[in-house]
Amino acid sequence: MTQLLLFNITNGLIIGAFYVLMALGLSLILNLSNVINFAHGGFLVLGGYLAYTITPYVGFWGALVFAPPLIALVGLAVERTLIKPLYGRDPLYSLLLTFGLAFVIEDGTRFIWGAQGKPVTVPAILAQPLSDELFFITGYRLFMVATVAVAVAALFVLLRFTRLGIRIRAGTLDLETVSALGINVGRLRAMNFGVGIYLAGLSGVLAAGQLGLEPTMGTGLLMPSFIAIIVGGVGSLTGTLLGGLLIGVASGITAVFLPAASEAIMYVLMAVILMIRPRGLLGEEGMMT
Amino acid sequence: MTNLLEVRGATKRFGSLVAVRDVSLAVQPGELRAIIGPNGAGKTTFFNMISGFFRPTSGSIVFDGRDITSTPAYQRVVLGMGRTFQITEIFPELTVFENVRISTEVADGYRLRPWIGRAAKDHVRRQVEETLTLTGLQAKAQRLVGELSHGDQRAAEIAMALALRPRLLLLDEPTAGMGEQETYEITQLVRRLHKDSKLTILLIEHDMRVIFHLADRITVLDQGNLLAEGTPQEIAINEAVQSAYLGKAA
Amino acid sequence: MIVSADNRKLAGLATIWIVLALAPYWMAPLGGYTALGTRILVLGLAAMSVNFLLGFTGVLSFGHAAYFGLGAYGAGFALKFLAPSTPLALVCGMLLGGIAGAALGALIARRRGVYFAMVTIAFGQVFYYIAFQWSSVTGGDDGLRNFSRQPLHFGSATIDILGNANAFYYFVLVCVALAVGVMGFILRSPFGRTMIAIRENERRARFLGIPVDRHIWLAFTLSCFFMAFAGALYALVNNFADPRGLHYSQSGDFVMMAVMGGMRRFWGPLLGAAIFVVLQDYLSSVTVNWMSFVGVIFIAIVLFFPRGLLGVLQRRSEA
Repeated sequence: MTQLLLFNITNGLIIGAFYVLMALGLSLILNLSNVINFAHGGFLVLGGYLAYTITPYVGFWGALVFAPPLIALVGLAVERTLIKPLYGRDPLYSLLLTFGLAFVIEDGTRFIWGAQGKPVTVPAILAQPLSDELFFITGYRLFMVATVAVAVAALFVLLRFTRLGIRIRAGTLDLETVSALGINVGRLRAMNFGVGIYLAGLSGVLAAGQLGLEPTMGTGLLMPSFIAIIVGGVGSLTGTLLGGLLIGVASGITAVFLPAASEAIMYVLMAVILMIRPRGLLGEEGMMT
Repeated sequence: MTNLLEVRGATKRFGSLVAVRDVSLAVQPGELRAIIGPNGAGKTTFFNMISGFFRPTSGSIVFDGRDITSTPAYQRVVLGMGRTFQITEIFPELTVFENVRISTEVADGYRLRPWIGRAAKDHVRRQVEETLTLTGLQAKAQRLVGELSHGDQRAAEIAMALALRPRLLLLDEPTAGMGEQETYEITQLVRRLHKDSKLTILLIEHDMRVIFHLADRITVLDQGNLLAEGTPQEIAINEAVQSAYLGKAA
Repeated sequence: MIVSADNRKLAGLATIWIVLALAPYWMAPLGGYTALGTRILVLGLAAMSVNFLLGFTGVLSFGHAAYFGLGAYGAGFALKFLAPSTPLALVCGMLLGGIAGAALGALIARRRGVYFAMVTIAFGQVFYYIAFQWSSVTGGDDGLRNFSRQPLHFGSATIDILGNANAFYYFVLVCVALAVGVMGFILRSPFGRTMIAIRENERRARFLGIPVDRHIWLAFTLSCFFMAFAGALYALVNNFADPRGLHYSQSGDFVMMAVMGGMRRFWGPLLGAAIFVVLQDYLSSVTVNWMSFVGVIFIAIVLFFPRGLLGVLQRRSEA
């Protein structure tokens, strides 16, 4: 029993790590610009497909390095042309826009790469399990967690120690003051969006190796990201981190006792949080608007 | 005479910033009390505590003998407190009539009604017209509030607060951003409300002429602290008050 | 000729109802068919229900399709497991969606803006997920099937709404008229005015003595009941309840209908529904990539026509 539990908790942490990567990107964009990026899943898919396309030329590692920044550039272009005009307006409009964008990306992906799923090959050294005892931890999954850990660490370093990061954090708290200090808010939003999309692209490359590729995979990953943010607390990136891991682990534990409910558990978790601590685990009061 | 409003040792902290420190005040029914002080004195924060925008960090607020320190904002309105804001808060895309009508319907207890009969409707209409006449807006009743002049918008906001039949009216810088004529009109309006309608009024103002013209008593705040309190004459000659203002003059 | 505002309003209203009442007759020559009209009516009602909250209260509820779907399943369950009665099905559907809405609304009535939207979407997805997983009861991916709307019996007379497309259209028209009537009634009442007040300036509404959270919850609940009613009707239209009707993308469609037609106008969403349905039907018949086109249309409307068709027309008439 313990081994089964351990297995599932580890599994849960691995899945959770993945949710964290997605959710952090979403959270960044939400916190600074008040935009729910429905197209986030679409950028994930693009990341995966782009990696698939360039792998023959630069190898898996090359794809890992080059695909996310390229997707981030696409994201930047989208932000500057489509989302920028909507910033002053009712958040409804940016919601609808990213919603429509998600359609376009999904269908576009289908158009360019075909509706069939694509097989993705992962470097051999990663495909091996770690050992006979720990057979369930394949090298790839460990690699995924490691990548996420590095990315998250890099993100926190960015936010804490670089000028851009400090401005993003300040902007999340009070955008008006930031702009009064002479900082170009438009550029800040764009860069922030770019970072968020980079994370989505990276998630896509990782997901491709784990789940394979198909045009609709993005939407299924959007909901857990939402829930991670709600559970962890809107406005808090650490909260999102916590939320993602929590729902991953909860899902893992539930798989032991009630396999059918392992996906439902995150909704239950969300409902519980909303009832007993509506602002989320680490959310700040007054972040509700 | 028992006080209509009593604030006891109200303090408001935002993290390490103390916006208001241990300020007390007692207002009698029918009094017009002005709250003045240099910028950053904490006047609006003080108002916000009284009207329930947020709760004091410590201290208590008693309204007509009832402790309202924890009462939610909308409830304080129901108990008889009306308020206007520094930046006029109105319903911009509705007409003046419609703006005041909403207040009136809430005051009359109709806010949850899915339907009101003809008689009630007419009653409401008459009340709205009365309020509009009192504030001098009857000619502009069908205009969209968002399109009115600054002074008229402020008058409309006051009308909305009046329609609630409050016992205490809180006015936050009613003449802010107004020219001579508009300032005069608003001042006259407030005077009428005080003298004729016998309303108790708490007023934040910067314009000294307005204050000395209207106030029964003045409370002076400086950097969150209570600096002085007294009649206009007493305050005019108070040295601490003078240095607080002159010291800030730049 | 100068016509008074009131008379113009009445004339407009009359025109709308006449057009709707005669739809089966003018649709055919235009290449349409009665069932399309029925669909538009029901989806239009759904869009108007969303707009009750969105356009009139200013609340960003994006997961509203959940209650539409619940209404559909409720009606289906009633017809499958309770009794072969169409009115009962409608009531059951309405209750299922409405009560769920009331319960969930209580949990989220204090949130605002995008956070509110996120939570409504997430909650909506719970029902989608349940419909998918609990396949023994709900039919899972295939949806709820094997039920159909039943003919109406009034004493000795029977109206065959199952077989006769026109009869069904008029039945739906009457139902929608009822719902729309109640909606309009509420919006013109003192309570309705508090909703508009909250939309216009929430802070001011609060400082007028309106318990804003409570009123938002009430508006939310009411809109869920209307939504569920529309969903129940839709189940009758297709004799089928689709889990996709619970998905947030369906919500997005309804919101888009409201925006397309004009959010600030009572009839806007119905017009938007008509445009949307016709457009989508046409696009999906001419191209496989209709999804991209729909997405592009979303984007275009948001960027260039946020006030919707009626909004644009209103501007023109004021100029």
